Formats: sequence, structure tokens, C-alpha cells
Amino acid sequence: MYILKNSIRNVTRNAGRNILIGMIVLVIAISSCIALSIKQSASQLQTTGLSKIEITGSISVDRQALMSQAQDSGTDMRALMQESESLTLAEMQNYATSVNVKDFYYTLSSSMSKGTGLEPVSTDAVTTAATTQTQPTAPTESEESNKAISPSGMGTQGDFTLTGYSGENAMTSFISGTNQVTSGQLFSFDTADMTCLISEELATFNGLSLGSTIQLTNPNATTEVTTLTVGGIYKTTTATADSGAMRFSTAADPANQIYTGYNTLNAISGQSLSVATLGTDTSGNQTTTALRTQESGIYTFSDMTAYENFKTDVTAMGLPSSYTVTSTDVTNYENSLLPLENLNTFATIFLVLVLLIGGSILVVLNILSMRERKYEIGVLTAIGMKKKHVVFQFIAEGFIVTLIAILLGTGIGAAVSVPTANALLSQQVASIQTQEESQQSNFGRGGSSSGGRPGEQATVNYVQSISSATDITVVMQLIGIGILLTLLSSCGAMVFILRYDPLNILSNRS
Amino acid sequence: MSVLKLENLSYTYQGAPIKVLDHLNYEFENGKIYCIMGKSGAGKTTLLSLLSGLTTPTDGKIFFKDQDISQINKYNYRSQMVGVIFQGYNLLPHLTAAENVQLSMDISEKIFPDKVRHGFAALAKVELGEEKATRRILKLSGGEQQRVAIARALSYDPEIILADEPTGNLDGETQEGIITIFKKLAHEENKCVIIVTHSPEVAKAADVLYELTPVS
Repeated sequence: MYILKNSIRNVTRNAGRNILIGMIVLVIAISSCIALSIKQSASQLQTTGLSKIEITGSISVDRQALMSQAQDSGTDMRALMQESESLTLAEMQNYATSVNVKDFYYTLSSSMSKGTGLEPVSTDAVTTAATTQTQPTAPTESEESNKAISPSGMGTQGDFTLTGYSGENAMTSFISGTNQVTSGQLFSFDTADMTCLISEELATFNGLSLGSTIQLTNPNATTEVTTLTVGGIYKTTTATADSGAMRFSTAADPANQIYTGYNTLNAISGQSLSVATLGTDTSGNQTTTALRTQESGIYTFSDMTAYENFKTDVTAMGLPSSYTVTSTDVTNYENSLLPLENLNTFATIFLVLVLLIGGSILVVLNILSMRERKYEIGVLTAIGMKKKHVVFQFIAEGFIVTLIAILLGTGIGAAVSVPTANALLSQQVASIQTQEESQQSNFGRGGSSSGGRPGEQATVNYVQSISSATDITVVMQLIGIGILLTLLSSCGAMVFILRYDPLNILSNRS
Repeated sequence: MSVLKLENLSYTYQGAPIKVLDHLNYEFENGKIYCIMGKSGAGKTTLLSLLSGLTTPTDGKIFFKDQDISQINKYNYRSQMVGVIFQGYNLLPHLTAAENVQLSMDISEKIFPDKVRHGFAALAKVELGEEKATRRILKLSGGEQQRVAIARALSYDPEIILADEPTGNLDGETQEGIITIFKKLAHEENKCVIIVTHSPEVAKAADVLYELTPVS
């Protein structure tokens, strides 16, 4: 007990020396507090941010895996691609039985051509606003061949993209507010009611209104005519610039997106399949004139853990390695954290440097202090104080000074960490945005748009600021740093104390 | 019965092989004042360092109550059994006189009913009042510092008092007072007082006188 009392007394009696050491620790504490706060914010945003949002994901062919497989086995990647067809609805529904899946919905997409009285909004004639689609939509790749269709191919590209939804949850662009029904109502999800939603632009372009009928044809067999009733008209709220892709395919233009129920499109597809003509092309491949469709499944997960567990589940349920589970939500969120992650890396390096430099200064200061206090050590041991008690007293002194400096540093650090972190963060965001804009500009896209192709990601909303940074974890980490620094800097002192012989010190002084 | 006994005690400085003590056979008993005299370089302070356990003999043994002190914990021996009054005082300058005394009492780990009062009483014995007792060491004169060093050595009630020129900086009157304290400690409190001195006045007070001669 007297050792601690002695330590406290020594700290106050040797104020000059202790203030000097305290100031070094204070600088280390403030710097560490800022660095740790940034790291803590980044880590919190990474974990809690994702836990707050509902995650959607899908299963798709992993091209990277296929490429590696092709390279490893020496087989043709094209052949592997053709073998790895999209999953069927039944397969997707099977994977949806995983306990980690909160909800599952699906869409059916097809490309259809114009019929009598209906013209697609042409991007050649009109530079139109386009929306950014956030859900898997119809195939946009066009085929050069008009009639000869491979069974595994996507068929001839039509003028419109027709998407059939299994339920309201599947209509993510309407949920997010990108699209909004302005008049009329939604089609039926339960029955094939042959009604649809069309864009305001398409309606205006063709003079259509609620209750009007539109005619669409199978691009592979123009005699197959489908008639749909306009049940509702929607508008898009996100305007994006014209895209090069839209000049080649009107089906890629968001204005030419027609939405309907899954059952309606399924009925159209079924009808087309029943009247399809089979044939063989010049290469000997089997062809069909049936309407080409593609099914996509979207899984929703209540949190990140469920999403990660689902990945394991599907592998256990037999999903081949050539398929992968992806989530645009997770990717987008991770992208939005990019500046913060950069800052986190910077903070880590800064922290290590501060600790290394600060720690070294402290070690040197402590050694100098020990040399200065050699006489005191000599006297204490000469009057019978055990060396381990002397060491303990000196370490306790170090702890007292460090603790006070850490507490002060944490207070100051907590106050300045948020503005400092935000200032650094905005610099990072600005730097990344400038880099992106420069890249876009180099490709002649201009502006801040990322393009208007459906399915393409919108500009990432980077995390621009953090609110509260210094929490109990940071305080505990700082105390840990304090303990570490005190022990490290006391190591030198310990060696000196253990080496000193009281008689030598005292007789040398005499 | 001797409280301290030297058996063929010799000491040679390391590094420079100079023998300063050669086969000493002294015995020290409780209730007596011993004075060790001798010319400079005769090894008086070295002998005191050996008796206080600050250094170890190169040859021979020292027994504390028939126990070889090389087998005893030196720190316990110094903090409890012997009270050393160093020639250079060896006080801690950042502490007050009273704190220096109390620190020795703390280190001894002996139990005192009222440590603060006991410390002040030890200082009062060497004629240092409360006002002086609460001054820091550097605010005291050389003589006062020497008295603090004496008070510190007495404070934790050791069985043996070892003093190296304890009256060197004291005026005649105070020196007399200190000699009286040593006499009281030896004759009334049955302590063993061993004093290394040049002072004939102190030597006169001794019950036993040892004369050290330089080793040729």
C-alpha cells in the first residue's frame, strides 16, 4: 500500500518530469483515439450497416470459376458456359427451402417485338430519360442471326422487354421508388389476366391510355401475336443519360420495359411453345421458334449472417461450383464504404507509426529518467526496499501518469475525432469521385452519370460522414495501449533497477 | 551473547586487488556502544557496509545472532534488523524529513500503532520539531539532515545501529545530545550501537573500542 502512496507522492513532487512524459502520452492518446475511432466507425458501419438492411441475393453462373476451370482442365470455356445453363425455377425454389431464406420471388423475362399500332420509343429519334434497373431484367444481348436460333441461345432480340413478376416483393424498382404507378393499377399476380404496366413515355409515344390494348409479336415468329391490355402507367423518377447500348437495342431502353404478372408471361411463353416450329440450322444444331424466356430468382435474407449461411447451405444442397450466390445490396454497400475503408487503412498505418515513434520516445525518456533517479533507487534499496517493490513503484508511477494522460487524451480525442474523421473522409470521397469522373470522362461519358443501361449500377452513395466514433471499445483499447506503453517503457527501467547495486550508486555519488 | 560476530572477515576490492580488511574477528553485543576508529583508508566504511549487508565479504563470515547473514534476506536484514546512519545521509530530497522517516518505517513492514506520531517522535528525539520535520530535506541544514538520518535509523526500532561519522556535521552541543541518545539506546534500550568515527568525544562514550589499521 505504501508503494502506491509513494508513487502518487512522487508523481506530484516531480511534476516537471511527469508533465513531460504525460504530454508525450497525451499526444499518443489523442492520435490513437482518432485512429481507433475511425477504425471503430468503419468496423461498425461494415457490420451494423448491413444488419440493418434486408439483403437480396441471386444465384448465377460464376464466370470467374468457369474461366479458372477452363484454364485448369484445358477445356473450351464456351463449351463450359453452354453446359452451365441458368437454374430452372424448380431448382431455385428448391434452394429457397433453406431456413436462412426469408422470402423468395422470381421473374420471367422475355424480349418481344412490336405488333400493329405499337412502336418502341426509339433512342435514335429521341434522347430519352432512362431509369437504372436494380433487378435482373431481360436479356439484352442481341443475336446477329434472325431466324436460326440455337436451343441454348437467347433468340432474336425484340423491341421490348417484357418482365413478369411473381409478386409485389419482386418489383424492387417500384419498392425503391425508381418507378411509380401514376395511373391505373397493377396486374394480377395470381392469374394470367393479360394486363400490363407501360411507361409514360411509351404511352405518350403511341397515344395509349388505360384500357388500351397493345400487340406484341414473337421475334422468332412474327405471326405469333399477343394482345395485352394497359392496366396501369408508370413513371420513372431517376433520369439518366442516353446510353450507347440503347442505340442498338430499343429493348434496352427503360421506356420500353413492359411489366406484367409471371403467370401472364408464362401463359404467353406456353402458348408460343405449343405452336413452335422445330428445325435444324446449317451447322446441324436444333432450332425452335418458341419465345425465348429467362427466369430469375431473388432470395431475401433478414441479415448478413443469413446471407452468408445461405451460401454454405446451397453448396450443401448440391449447387455446382460453377454457380455463385451474389448480392448487389452487399456489393453496393461495400462499395459505399470504400472511402471509409481507405481511411481505415490510413488510420491503421498512422496508429502503428504513432505507437512505434511514441513508444520509442517513451522508452528513451524512461531510461533517462531512471539514470536521473539512480540515487533514489540506491537509497531505497540501501534502506531495505526490495528491488521488486522499487520496480513496482516506478511502474505504478508510469501508470498514474499514463492513465491521466489517456483519460485527457480520450476526452480531447473524442471531441476532435468526429470532425477530423469527417474532414479526412470527405477528402477521400472527393478523391475517389474525381478519379471516377476522370475515368468516365476518358470514355467520353461525361457528367457524373454511370450510364443508363438497365441493370447497371447507379453512382455509389459513399458514406460521407460518421456520427459517433469514440465508444467504450475505443476507451478500452486506449487503456490497453496505455498499459502496453507503460510496460514497454518500464522494461528499460526494470533492467536498470535490477542491475543497480546500492553501494555502487551511493559510493559513486559520495 | 553476541548479536553480531565477525569470523576471519576479509575484504578485497574487485577490479583492483587491494585487501582492505584481513581476518577480522570482532564480536558485538547488545547493550554496548562500539567505536571503530582508524586512519583514512583503514577500511572503516567498508566494514560498516559489510555489517549492514550492502556488500559481501570476500572471505570469512558475519553472523547475526549465530546466523550467517549471507543466508538471510539482505533487504529484510537492512530494513528491520539494522539501522544505518550513512555518512552522506542518503535522504530523499523530494520528501520531507517526516516522510523520509515514515518511508523507512513503511519499508520495515513493522506494525506501529500510529506511524505518523511515531515518526515525529523519532525526529523529536534528535531535537527536530514539527516545523522542521515537515520541511523538505534540501530546506534543512547539513546538521539537521544528519539528525534526520539518525531519526530514520532509529524510527523502526532496529536491534543494531550502525553509524558512519554520525556527529561529523554537528556542533558541540548537538553532538553531546546525539551521544546521549546512543548511550540511552545501548544502555537503556539494550541496542547494539556500532559507530565509525574520528571524533575523540564519541570514542570516549564507547564501551568497546576497535582500532583498524590499514592492511600492509
